[in-house]
Order: sequence, then structure tokens, then C-alpha cells
Amino acid sequence: MKGETYDGAAIVLTDDDTVATALDDLRTGRTFTIDDRIVELVEDVEFGHKFALEAIDSGERVTKYGEVIGEATQPIEPGEWVHTHNLRSLRAQPDAEGES
Amino acid sequence: MAQPSLSGATDFEGFTRRGRRSGVRNTILILPSVICSGVVAESIADAVPEAVCVPHDHGCGQIGADKDQTRRTLLNVAENPNVAGVVVVGLGCETLDSEELAADLDLPVRQTSIQSAGGTDAAIDAGVEAVEELASAARPDRRKRITVSDLTVGVVVSDLDESTVTTAAPAVGRLARTITDVGGRVVVGGVESLVPHRAHATELTADDETAETLHRALTDHGDVVPPTPIRTAAANQPVEAIAEFWGGLPIRDVLAYGERATHQRGIGIVTTEGRFEETATALAAAGAQLVVHVTADGIPTGHPVVPVLKLTGDHETATALPDDIDVDASLGDERVLTERVLETAEGIQTATEHHGLTTFAISRSGPSL
Amino acid sequence: MTDSVTMEFTGYRRQDGRIGVRNHVAVIPVSVTASAVAKQLAAEGAAWVRSTPHQMPLHPPEAARDRIRTVLEGIGKNPNVAAALFVALGNETIDAQRLADDVAKTGRHVETLSIRDIGGTRDALERGRQKIERLGKSANRARREAADASELVVAMECGGSDATSGFAANPAVGNACDRIVEAGGTGVISETPEFIGAEHILAERCVDDDVRERLLDYVERREQMAALMDVDFRGAQPSPGNQRGGLTTLEEKSLGAIAKGGTTPLRDVVPYGHQLPVGGGFAVMDSPGYDVESVSGKVAGGAQIVVFTTGRGSTTGNPIAPVIKVTGNSNTYERMHENMDIDASRVLRGESVETVGEALFERIGATADGELTAAERHRMEEFAINDIPSNEIKQLGEPT
Repeated sequence: MKGETYDGAAIVLTDDDTVATALDDLRTGRTFTIDDRIVELVEDVEFGHKFALEAIDSGERVTKYGEVIGEATQPIEPGEWVHTHNLRSLRAQPDAEGES
Repeated sequence: MAQPSLSGATDFEGFTRRGRRSGVRNTILILPSVICSGVVAESIADAVPEAVCVPHDHGCGQIGADKDQTRRTLLNVAENPNVAGVVVVGLGCETLDSEELAADLDLPVRQTSIQSAGGTDAAIDAGVEAVEELASAARPDRRKRITVSDLTVGVVVSDLDESTVTTAAPAVGRLARTITDVGGRVVVGGVESLVPHRAHATELTADDETAETLHRALTDHGDVVPPTPIRTAAANQPVEAIAEFWGGLPIRDVLAYGERATHQRGIGIVTTEGRFEETATALAAAGAQLVVHVTADGIPTGHPVVPVLKLTGDHETATALPDDIDVDASLGDERVLTERVLETAEGIQTATEHHGLTTFAISRSGPSL
Repeated sequence: MTDSVTMEFTGYRRQDGRIGVRNHVAVIPVSVTASAVAKQLAAEGAAWVRSTPHQMPLHPPEAARDRIRTVLEGIGKNPNVAAALFVALGNETIDAQRLADDVAKTGRHVETLSIRDIGGTRDALERGRQKIERLGKSANRARREAADASELVVAMECGGSDATSGFAANPAVGNACDRIVEAGGTGVISETPEFIGAEHILAERCVDDDVRERLLDYVERREQMAALMDVDFRGAQPSPGNQRGGLTTLEEKSLGAIAKGGTTPLRDVVPYGHQLPVGGGFAVMDSPGYDVESVSGKVAGGAQIVVFTTGRGSTTGNPIAPVIKVTGNSNTYERMHENMDIDASRVLRGESVETVGEALFERIGATADGELTAAERHRMEEFAINDIPSNEIKQLGEPT
């Protein structure tokens, strides 16, 4: 796992991730250049919390650690805070029919 | 046969406590709330002679009823009459929070945790300061005359060997009758020997409610806990032989592990398997100031909070382990055990207090998470 | 994998071919009745005398007995143990002499001490001191030899986790784990409940169906154990505290925990306390999340070194294996620096996970070579065996 950090303020764990994790309390407007993209925070994001690196549709899966950590419950813009209000677990119930 | 009297001595010299029964020792307890703070707690206890420590394997990875059991056990042990003051030592991230535990204790208490103090050395420093404070406050305590009715004697029986049933039981039975006659209490730890006799619950207890509680407890216990050698042996004994360990007297209180006894006088019983170290802890939590341990095998360990008197009916064991056994019941003098109990209450050290090797263990009632 | 650093150290070559990174005389009680004597012998002994006191009874129920015996034997055989003394009351169901004989088959000097037969505690202590002196002489004759990471079984653990564990400390440890595996060694994680929610991902990394099935069976059983205590594990995770810290879903939390196992294929899954493969790549041992039991199980399985991440500041160690503490929380590292070894919060200040992983890999090598960890300097030596309580046996049956 590469775990690239950006300005010591955000970390992206793998190249496939669609979210970054804040390493500091970040303010609206803070920008990061990640893989030729510029991501601008559209709201404050606290230390340890996530923000989107790209547009994510409602129902689309969100990736961190190179794996699916849940699905969006509403459309998410790049630079938006990602947490319980717009991301839900797919594994909160034990597999009924081997859903992966 | 006439009951042996306490030779006129219906009182002894002990330490009075505010809001609690009197103690037979005057210790400062260093209480780790979790396994992770055990080493620090032991270092703190080394700082003053009056301090004892109860390091244990729990406080982390426990859930539900199992966690609750550990919590209530720790709280009730901390309020044992032998304890003058407590220093609760935590790590900081454990399930049983040390600050909350300290807040729930109703005796002189201090608290520290490794994470809030800033490391193990800092926690030891803070703890040593606290124990020295509590010990200074407790040091002037002097023993006062109090009556035996304030005494609760715990009993653990580790086997049902021939010598235990034939020789040791009568001595313990006599002790139980003597103590309860003058208003004291006896709490027996371990129900394995009663499981095969649960049909006799009504005869064994003081009232219908207790009979029902006992019967249910024995059924539940028997359903879940696989039989130990005691249960197997007890099935071949008449119920009277089993009840002799508490003088054949009616049981008034049926306690869950770690619960405090609330009956005023007479016999209580703790629903537990009966492993010595864990059961001595349950008896300390119940409020026993000292414990009589019947052991044909000579299990040698003592307990940090309660003095333990080792009794055997096996003469070979008594002679083979002279430094570990207090009373050889096979020698026939029926008063010896009662005398030794009173001497212990007044401060004479038991064999386990002499060698000082103790173990503190708490029963688990569920798997680790 | 980028520039791998080679790791060489000088260890203690045992007769069974394993290499130890420490040279202890282990004083192992067979039951709780012997724990106090064992503990006292170690307390008054030299620093290389180590005891593993525990709470297991004289007569454990049959369903729990095998595991206890396996752990006791495994401790005696851990490569860091030069010689061992099994202390018993004398009438334990687990036979102390047979246990000693089984450990002695590895070529180690092993002795037993029966408190009953000797004549009680005072005589047991006296005789125990003499035995330890003899065992110590044998330990001193251990051969020192050069070795490398391929001979190491390194256990990864996390405890007292916080938000930083998942994105700083554990990924750094995972990076070090990948390096151990690449060097030919074994990196093992346990704490099965922490896989719940991400077990399908771990399952995909399994090298074959047999390993996969064992893994999933263990996860299912650990989840059933929680249900036994009326705890809905999935529903309760992440906790409110976790969520305040930034964790949103169960799978995110579990992925953060699994990250300490790195990225290589999962080659083996072993029961609690059972022998871990040498040169086995990435492996899993079934265990509870409860740290002390989890670490003790991996050490019984033969792990010579433990790498332990902690956000909030766990200070525990182990009597037999050095525990390296890694924290991704800079506050914890500063305030509790005397109890910490590696500052993974450097990731928070801009260093890559790889850089910190490399530093950790080097520290593992230094530890193997004799450098004491913080836990060792403070003599933090916690030990506990994961018991199988009667309600678990009754409801879920004997573990396989």
C-alpha cells in the first residue's frame, strides 16, 4: 500500500481510491493536486475524515484501501466531505445470498 | 453434642468502617481496571507495606454479562471490609473505565491512568503519591472491639475426597454453626456439589423464594457447566453430607458471582464452579473478611484481599506441606478451626500470609471478543 | 516492491533449527494453582527468567483442554526460549511431565517442579531456584549465529486503536509485513473479529479454497460468540467514538485493521496457539480481538517478535517475545514516548507509508539483533490464554 501524502494534509492509500483522508483539520477552499487533478474542498473536513476525489453518483461504490467501503446514498461532488450522511455500509448485515 | 462456645469471646478486635462491616485487615488496595495496568499497579503496591494489589486478566475484550460480572466483582472487592482505601489504576482505553470505577466506589479512593498520566513511569509516580496519602490516613487506625456478628467467613471446598467429607466437613460445620449462632455469616463458594441434589432445594433453604432461586441457579449452572470431579463425587453422597459444610443450616442468600451478600446472618451460597482462586475472589466480593479453604490436595495459594486458612482432613497432606496448611482436622480437636478463625480475625497471620504467595482471579462468563 | 532492505541479525540457534531473538528461561505454570510460584521465581530471578502466569484451572473441561495444552507446549518451544521449567501443583489433568517431555523433544533442557511432591511453597521456591540456575547454565551455552528475516515469524497486532491506526500506523506495518514476506519470512495477523465486514476481501487473497474456508469459518464463529452475549457485532460498529474519529462503515474500519497484514496472498490460517509456518508468507491465526490473549496466542505459535500498533497508547508487552510499539498519533508518541518505539505519525507530516514501513522493517531487524524495545525496558510482560468458556462450548460446540 503506497499511502501517498499530499502537503502532509491528506493521504490517499492506493491509486484506486476515490476518497482521501484528512491528516489535519482542513478548511473549505483548500486545494490538492492529486494525479494531475486539482481537488478543491467545498466544505470543512476534520482530521481523520474523508473527502471525495471525484464525482460519485448516488448508488455508486466508494473505494478506499483499494477496496469498496460502501456506497453513496446521494450524489457526491469532488472535494465534498464523505461520511454517514452520504455513505452507507454494504456489509452491516451478514451475507444473505453471498453478496460480494 | 453441645455446641462449643467461643469461650466467652463473642467479640474480637477489628477495624471499623463507615457504612461497611468491620475488617480484619487494614489494607490499601491497588486496583487495576484492566490487565494492561497490572504491572503498574503492582509497582505502586510495592511502595508501601500496607498495600496489596489485585492484578487480573480482564477488563478488555469483554462484552455483555461477562463484562458486567467483572465490573461488579472489582467494585465489591474494592469495598471489602478489609480495605481502608483504594487506588484505581487504568490504562485509558479499556472497557472498564478507571475513572468511572473510582466514581462508583464509596470509600477513600484515588485514581490514575497510564494514558492520562503520560506513560507507565508517570502513572507509577502518580499512584505512589496516592497510595502514600491513603496509607498515611489509614496508619493511625487501631483495632476496636467488635462482635463476631460482624464477621462473614467464606468457605471454599476444593474436593470431596474421603478425608474432606469424613474429617474436614464436621470441623467446618461446627465453625458455621458457632459463627451463625452468635449472629455472624458464612458464605460458601461453589455449587458443583449441590447440582446433583437440586431436588432438595426446599429442605436446604430458609424460605420458598430462596428455594426457587437456588433450584433455578443449580439447574442453569448444571446445564451449561460441564461436570467437575466434585459434581461426580457429590452424586454419590447424601445431601446431608454436602450440607454439613455449612453446618446443615438453611441457606438464606443465593449470590451470583461477584455479588455482595445482603442477608443479615446465617448462610449464603455463591453460584460458581468453585475453582479456588476465582471463588476466593467471589467471597471477598460477597463481603467475607476471611476464607476457610478445605483442600485435600494442598492448593497453596492465598488471596491478596482476604486471609485464607487452609484446612485439610488428610493427615498426609498436612505433614507433607507443613508451611502451607493451617489446620489438620485429622488431629481431632474440634475447637481448633474456630479458634484459628478468631485469631486470624485479630491479626495473627495465616500460612498463606506468611509465604505471601497470592493469586487474584475472576471467573469469566463468556468468550473474549 | 521498491528497494528492499535486507535484514540480517545474530540470533540464538536452537537444536530444532529455529532461531531465537532472545534467550529466556521460561517458567510456565501448568495451572493457576502454580502461577504464584512461577511468578515469584521469575520476579526474583535474573532478567532472562520469564514467567507466563495464567488463570487456567487444575481440571479444565475436555473441550478446553487441548487448546490450553497446545499453548503451554508452544510457549516452551518458542524460539526465544532456551530452556523451560514447568511448574505444577502435581495433580493437574494436564500432565506436567508429558508436557515437559514433548518440549524436550526439541532438544531443549526442560525440567518440572511439583509443588505437592516437593513439600509446599517454600520448598518449591527453593528447588525452583536451583532448577533455574541449572536451566540458565544450559541457556548460556546457546549458539549465536547469523540469520536473516526469512527465519522470522513476525506477529502484527493492533490495540487501543484510534482514527490514525487505519491510515497511518497499520498501513506502515502492512508495508513492513510485505517486506518480511518478500524476504522469505512469515507475517501473521490475528484478531478475527476485526475482519468482520472485510472478510470477503481477505478471503479473495487466500491462496486456495481450503485456506479460504477455514478463514470464513473462524470469522463466522467469532461473530456467533458475540451473538451469544447478545451483541450484534455488525450493528454496533463503527462505534460512536469511531464515527467521530472519521470511520464511516464497518468495512472501512476492518480494512484499516487488515491493512497491517500488507498486500501479499494469504497462505495459511491456523487455530489459536497452533504452530505458525516458518517461511510461510502472510498468515492468519484465529484469535479474539483482546490484545493480550491475541499476542500470547501468536507467541505460542512461534512468533519471535511482535509489532503492535496503538493510537491511544497501549503499553503491554509479552514475557517471551519483544513487542515493538508503533503509533500514528503524534500526541500519543510525544506524551508516552517512553513506552513507544516507532512514530508512524510521521505519515501525518508528509512521509510516505513506504518510508515509515522501511524504518519499521529496520527496527524489526535491530530488535532481532538484541536492541530492547520500550516494553522490554519497562518489563511490561502481559500474558493470558484465550479460554473456551462453558457457554461457548454449550452453544457453539468444541472449536475445530
